[in-house]
Amino acid sequence: MAANKQQGFSFGLFLLGLTAACAGVSCFSIGIGKVILLLGIVVLLASLWQFFKIKPLEGKIALGSQPAGMKLVGVVVTLLGWVVVLFGLHLTPNVGGRMVAAIVGLIVSLVGVLVILPSACNKNAIWKA
Amino acid sequence: MKIFRSKFLLYLVLVLSIGTLAHADSTADLKATAAKAPTTADLQQGDPGGTLTGTINDVPVSDPKAGLTLGDVANQVGQNKIGINFTWTLVCGFLVMFMQAGFAMVEAGLCRVKNANHTYMMNFSVYACGLFAYWIIGFAIQMGGSAGNGNLGGLQPLSGEHALSIFGKTWGIFGEKGLFLSGHTYDVGVMVIFLFQMVFMDTALTIVTGACAERWKFLTFCVSSVLMGAFTYPIFANWAWGGGWLAQLGNNVGLGKGYSDFAGSGVVHAVGGLTALAVALIIGPRIGKFNRDGSSNPIIGHDISAVLIGCFILAFGWFGFNPGSTLGASAAGCLRIGSVAVNTMLAGCTGTFGAMIYMWALKGKPDASMSGNGLLAGLVAITAPSGFVNTVGAAIIGAIAGVLVCLSVSFVENRLKVDDPVGAISVHGACGLWGVLSVGLFADGKSNYGGSWNGVTGSVTGLFYGDASQLVAQLIGIATLVGFVFTFSFVLNWVLDIILGHRVSAESEVAGLDLPEMGQLGYPEFVFTPEPAYLGAAERAAAVA
Repeated sequence: MAANKQQGFSFGLFLLGLTAACAGVSCFSIGIGKVILLLGIVVLLASLWQFFKIKPLEGKIALGSQPAGMKLVGVVVTLLGWVVVLFGLHLTPNVGGRMVAAIVGLIVSLVGVLVILPSACNKNAIWKA
Repeated sequence: MKIFRSKFLLYLVLVLSIGTLAHADSTADLKATAAKAPTTADLQQGDPGGTLTGTINDVPVSDPKAGLTLGDVANQVGQNKIGINFTWTLVCGFLVMFMQAGFAMVEAGLCRVKNANHTYMMNFSVYACGLFAYWIIGFAIQMGGSAGNGNLGGLQPLSGEHALSIFGKTWGIFGEKGLFLSGHTYDVGVMVIFLFQMVFMDTALTIVTGACAERWKFLTFCVSSVLMGAFTYPIFANWAWGGGWLAQLGNNVGLGKGYSDFAGSGVVHAVGGLTALAVALIIGPRIGKFNRDGSSNPIIGHDISAVLIGCFILAFGWFGFNPGSTLGASAAGCLRIGSVAVNTMLAGCTGTFGAMIYMWALKGKPDASMSGNGLLAGLVAITAPSGFVNTVGAAIIGAIAGVLVCLSVSFVENRLKVDDPVGAISVHGACGLWGVLSVGLFADGKSNYGGSWNGVTGSVTGLFYGDASQLVAQLIGIATLVGFVFTFSFVLNWVLDIILGHRVSAESEVAGLDLPEMGQLGYPEFVFTPEPAYLGAAERAAAVA
């Protein structure tokens, strides 16, 4: 099953919820802003629940399972590289030191992006079957 | 003391007299000029040569009793400067908006016939998804604290930036003014900057549709695009352009002029390209793209003419993308718009050559689709440095991008085993990062946008012209793109995959997305012969001959 009325309704609900939530944020200082924000969040959650309910209607997809643990490791390593770069800013005041920290951090992130995550996502790829 | 007081009084009287005389002189000058201006009777005769239209009589007078004053003239000069800058920025924004058509043609042309409607529709509706999300919250996050732009009248309503204080320095994180463009942000200057920034944001969003074409569920594409326009793009864009911490690297820790990205190789293209990589990893390759041994199969696009015409539309729109980023054509270095435009053209030209000659020399044919990607690669790469480099630097940057895109396409497909139907990850991700880096190398220190950049006095200067610290600022920007933006996009889309699912069913994918997802074929009156049978017939015919 592909595009259908339930999808259209859910997307409309999602847009409504997001708009209401943002409107609530926009007038948060006024009393009614908090009410609108709460209403928006409720509608948004309702739309996400709708999405989740109709997901199985799509049917069988051509995608193998992707190990969540390995993906999580990849995400953490990628983020860690960025943290190394930020830390390096304060570790040393000289340009050379900061350049080394930036390059080291970037390499760590690239290991996550180019090695760990592709391995995780392709571990049970359909073309391997 | 008496003598001193007398001399002082005499001096005061002299100065006041000279001032009064000067004022009287200028007022007399204005009156004399007004007296000589064409009258209504003169204008009623018509003005074919344009010598009578546009005179002192067109300057608004604030006080009819006092008549025209120097103050009135000065006010008009100010209005003219802002008017010129508004018009320039808006027209450039209109050009960038038209790039959506170029992206649609390039992507659909590189996809199969059975997915044409769906691919065009993704590029069409990304405009609505992005604009809406940006209006309700994205613009506020990105530009909510960016007050101070003299080119557009100051943008003073945008005066709310949330910042963190770390190690005694203030680092901007996100803005808060401008949701729904309401309240004080209902302002003429804010409207101009909103339009201009919105079309840039939409370019980033549309990049993802190319990498995920032919198997992306339309519903999930819509939700993902809305969230990218609301959060992913604006967060990094605030850090680079909205008064955020990346731009403050120069002021706070002395790294050059801070992260410098003139028109968005990083902010737009790398954000788009890296998000495309994140979603492509999650969504998986198309059925039939890879064999069991890991080798890849080419899946040929259905319309190369659309691809190449789309590339030219993009190149045309890029004249709004880069030169428009001066945010004006009057004052504060804005006359560099010609230089920026020429740099843009040159990089596109050498990018084309880089890709074309690489493919021709190594593979034997000047591949059309890769040549088109080469043009785009050059344009993407020059986007960040376009305002800071000379023509030689621009040509080199473009040529390297043209070769880089070919290498990257092969790497992404054969090493990473990521299926990217249009090469979006390579064109925008890899070449976008190269563009960011090239600022730190090739910026020649000759540009002057009001005497400073990101609040640091002087011109952006790269390593080859004497400032290594600028290169470090750019590297930190690249590390933020790879380490933070990619991660944010990956996690966001991972959650969407759990809740909605990114991929269409195998049945829909094999049939083509046009009917299941859109309910209508892209070319309903045409019957297309499947590619393998066609090739088989041609080969059979050649063997018989």
